[in-house]
Amino acid sequence: MNARGRALLALMLFAPAAGAQDVRLASRLDKPTFAAVNAIIDSARHAKLPTAPLVDKALEGAAKGSDGEKIVTAVHQLSIRMSSARRVLGARATADEIKTAAGALDAGISQRDLARIRAAAGNGPVTMPLAVVMDLIGRSVPVATATALVVQLERAGVKDSDLAIYQRNVRSDIDRGADPSIAARTRARGLVLRAAAPPARPTE
Amino acid sequence: MRGDDDMRMRNIARHLHGPVPVSSSVDDRVMAAVRGMPRHRFGFWSRLTTPRTVTVTPLSWGLLAASLVVFAGIGVVREYQVLDVAAKPIASALFHQPPRLVHARPVQFVLVAPGAKKVAVAGDFNGWDPTHAAYQAKQRGGGVWSVTAPVPPGHHRYSFVVDDSVWVADPTAPRVMDNDYGMPNSAIVVEDDK
Repeated sequence: MNARGRALLALMLFAPAAGAQDVRLASRLDKPTFAAVNAIIDSARHAKLPTAPLVDKALEGAAKGSDGEKIVTAVHQLSIRMSSARRVLGARATADEIKTAAGALDAGISQRDLARIRAAAGNGPVTMPLAVVMDLIGRSVPVATATALVVQLERAGVKDSDLAIYQRNVRSDIDRGADPSIAARTRARGLVLRAAAPPARPTE
Repeated sequence: MRGDDDMRMRNIARHLHGPVPVSSSVDDRVMAAVRGMPRHRFGFWSRLTTPRTVTVTPLSWGLLAASLVVFAGIGVVREYQVLDVAAKPIASALFHQPPRLVHARPVQFVLVAPGAKKVAVAGDFNGWDPTHAAYQAKQRGGGVWSVTAPVPPGHHRYSFVVDDSVWVADPTAPRVMDNDYGMPNSAIVVEDDK
């Protein structure tokens, strides 16, 4: 293989890691927007932040027919929120945790509350707890109440699968006309009591 | 007469059944020839290590080169990322679906939209592409539209797209406080199998 061939092969093998571009962005964004979004994505990559959520945010804007300025602003804001989220969650946070935490910050959770949820979850992932907080906030439960309840559930050692059931139950209660805060508190109390109770023994 | 003939035949047979006298050096010569032959080896490793002559046609070289180009191309367009804009069509052809859907789980999306002519699901799991074939809902009757499509584990945002133009949040799913583009999104958490 001659020198030219070797150079082409090296380019092909190492291009993805060296600041590659997303083909979907190129096809769906106009040139100035594409360039601006790529610059943000490159910065995020250098900061070791996940880039897929930024690409998704730009694609969402393009799909919804937003103008370039709005798309660039949204992508830029998301990169800032992800940077804050990573700072709070720590270097070991996964891409999904950072993405979800960025969404939680956007939903109104403070960095302090994010840190409380992180601490309460111990070594476990915070994706589901944060999703539940965002769901509660989206269902008109005040941010402080939603955060406090999820911290309480995490400290009680409630599993992700039980959190998912809790989320569904609260939603169902609200849909039937219950006050969101009362429904969230009542369901959380039941879950904490169940988590604290000793496991039931099978009867003979 | 018959008795003489029988006797003669028995003598001939006895003579033929007797040992054939051969030179004493014949055994040594035969065994030397056998030992001089190459040993026949069995097993996979022997087949791998035994040198052999392989004939390759020009067509085979062409197929090998084409395979190398395809694998190198996969490296370049991994996760839809390409350096060379000219490779876009190849990337699209190779990855109609994002590779991260490999570990995806089936999720059913349902929307009641009696007057709709077309309903699709777009979200961060399909690149917000309302034309994605796997996420086109089918009418089940009574205004109910549904599609079961793969979604990877994690927290995702999505929306229904009605008649290619109206974005509708899933009324049965939690909404996401996301006002970047002025349209509501829904959220879904897909748990990992692990």
